[in-house]
Amino acid sequence: MPLLEVRNLTKCFGGLSAITELDLDVFHSEILGVIGPNGAGKTTLFNLISGFYPPTHGRVIFEGKNITGLKAHKIAQLGIGRSFQASTLFLKLTVFENVFIGFHMNYEEAAWKSSLHTRSARREERAIRQKVLEILQFMGLVDLKDQIAHNLPHGHQRILGVCIALATHPKLLLLDEPLTGMHPEETSRMLDLIRKVQGRNITIVLVEHNMDAVMQLCDRIVVLNHGRKIAEGLPKEIRDNQEVIEAYLGTEEED
Amino acid sequence: MSNQKRRTKITTALFLLGSILALLPLIIKSPYQIHLLIMTGINVMLAISFSILFSAGLITMGPAGFWAIGAYSSALLVMKAGLSFWLSLPLAGISAGLVALIVGLVIVRNPGVAFIVQTMVINMIIVQILGQLEFLGGWAGILGIPNPNSIGPIRFVSKTSYYYLILFLLLVTTAGIYGAYSSRVGRAWRAIKLTPHLAETLGIDLYRYRLLAFVISSCVAGIAGSFYAHYFRSLEPGMFSVFKSIYVQIYSILGGLNFYLIGPVLGSLIMTFVPEFLRVSKEIEPIMTGGILIALVIFLPGGILSLPERLGFFSRPLLSRSRQTGVPPSEQGDH
Repeated sequence: MPLLEVRNLTKCFGGLSAITELDLDVFHSEILGVIGPNGAGKTTLFNLISGFYPPTHGRVIFEGKNITGLKAHKIAQLGIGRSFQASTLFLKLTVFENVFIGFHMNYEEAAWKSSLHTRSARREERAIRQKVLEILQFMGLVDLKDQIAHNLPHGHQRILGVCIALATHPKLLLLDEPLTGMHPEETSRMLDLIRKVQGRNITIVLVEHNMDAVMQLCDRIVVLNHGRKIAEGLPKEIRDNQEVIEAYLGTEEED
Repeated sequence: MSNQKRRTKITTALFLLGSILALLPLIIKSPYQIHLLIMTGINVMLAISFSILFSAGLITMGPAGFWAIGAYSSALLVMKAGLSFWLSLPLAGISAGLVALIVGLVIVRNPGVAFIVQTMVINMIIVQILGQLEFLGGWAGILGIPNPNSIGPIRFVSKTSYYYLILFLLLVTTAGIYGAYSSRVGRAWRAIKLTPHLAETLGIDLYRYRLLAFVISSCVAGIAGSFYAHYFRSLEPGMFSVFKSIYVQIYSILGGLNFYLIGPVLGSLIMTFVPEFLRVSKEIEPIMTGGILIALVIFLPGGILSLPERLGFFSRPLLSRSRQTGVPPSEQGDH
């Protein structure tokens, strides 16, 4: 059984349909790339899966459970984490605090105990602070933990976005253009990190424009164009797919 | 570690502040000035009520409405139901909180401008209801509200005894709210305020946490209302108009909106004492206050407490030690 099944998913904004009758499977522990020209509906797909918009038609099934139309925080609680396209962080807070907030769901002590700072709540908080450091260590940001997120260079901000998502202990992680705006060195570092995350048994779906990176990194690729799936397969199959080449090269030449 | 050091520092500072406030009546003998201090205390409670919501990214224009609910329910519970003040005080907080819960179920769904307008309208409606209902005293209000019952030898007659009572209420409130701010509840509020859609993907239920902030904020206003009723011993609906809510905002903004606890204290102190010392007549005062608000928003949006940082006295006072961007500390010290 796939981890995530998208069935007949359609999303219309007014009269325009951003996603049309999309079927998609994501399997355990794979890295699935979603590519397509600008406006193909990739980010809309992420917003539908993570519950930011309700779909017009169709279903999203996660671990066999229908999650269509659930609120974003519910979907996060079920184990779907995501990072955003831009530097969507808590920019005024430190790197440490950013990830600390990410652990919101991991508290077992009641909120009132946490507010009164009872002994057990303090013990729990210490343990979580330790876990924050572990994530920062794992992702190589531990030296920057006291920096304000706003002051980080772009590449580190993107990594921090992934750290925050990891704090929610996702089973499925959606990464929205994790490599945009990175120079080659940062890109290869990010690719290593994404593989390391996959190594923790986390399934990854990523939207990305950097073709070389997608071909290198992904186990499978899905190509969207105008909200429809036009191809699906292994990287080498996609590379040689005539329709994909036309969709891509066609629009790129028009630009 | 540094965290613990900071905690001891804060504890020492609070202890010092507490002792100064507790010893103040020994120095200040004038009942009038003690009265101003008591008013400051009430205003601090209201400003904290505003700040709680602000910390969760919501701006309320209606704290005076929930203040009124606390004041009226406490007065009625004591006068009509014959309860002791010490029971009606928490009940006043609870009733303001309950009203906030019911109203909040609807209005918290639309944060932003809608929330601002709706809280203002609720404030107006509460004042209208209090004025229109005869058994609540109508527009003439309620007179002859009794003093708080004595506890053993402590009788609530002198201004000083009220001063200690409001100081005690403030300390309890501040401690409780500080506890919440420094816990995961406060972190969730901050997350919602800073980047709501990211907060959502972290599993934070925006609706519930906003509602929680609204209820707690209204409880604080309600408790302040109960104290106010039994201190002034008379109530009339006009005291609780939206005008008062705007004043409450100014207390918080003047002190510094990002200083959820000290900001309200400083702002309320200034706004309560300065007009009195300047002996501004009641007619001109609102104009002056409006001027202060406009000037603040334009020139000092961070409030008085943001001044040291703005003038560069500290580099990043509370948030971090290093100002360097992106360079790990280990690489900074080498050269």
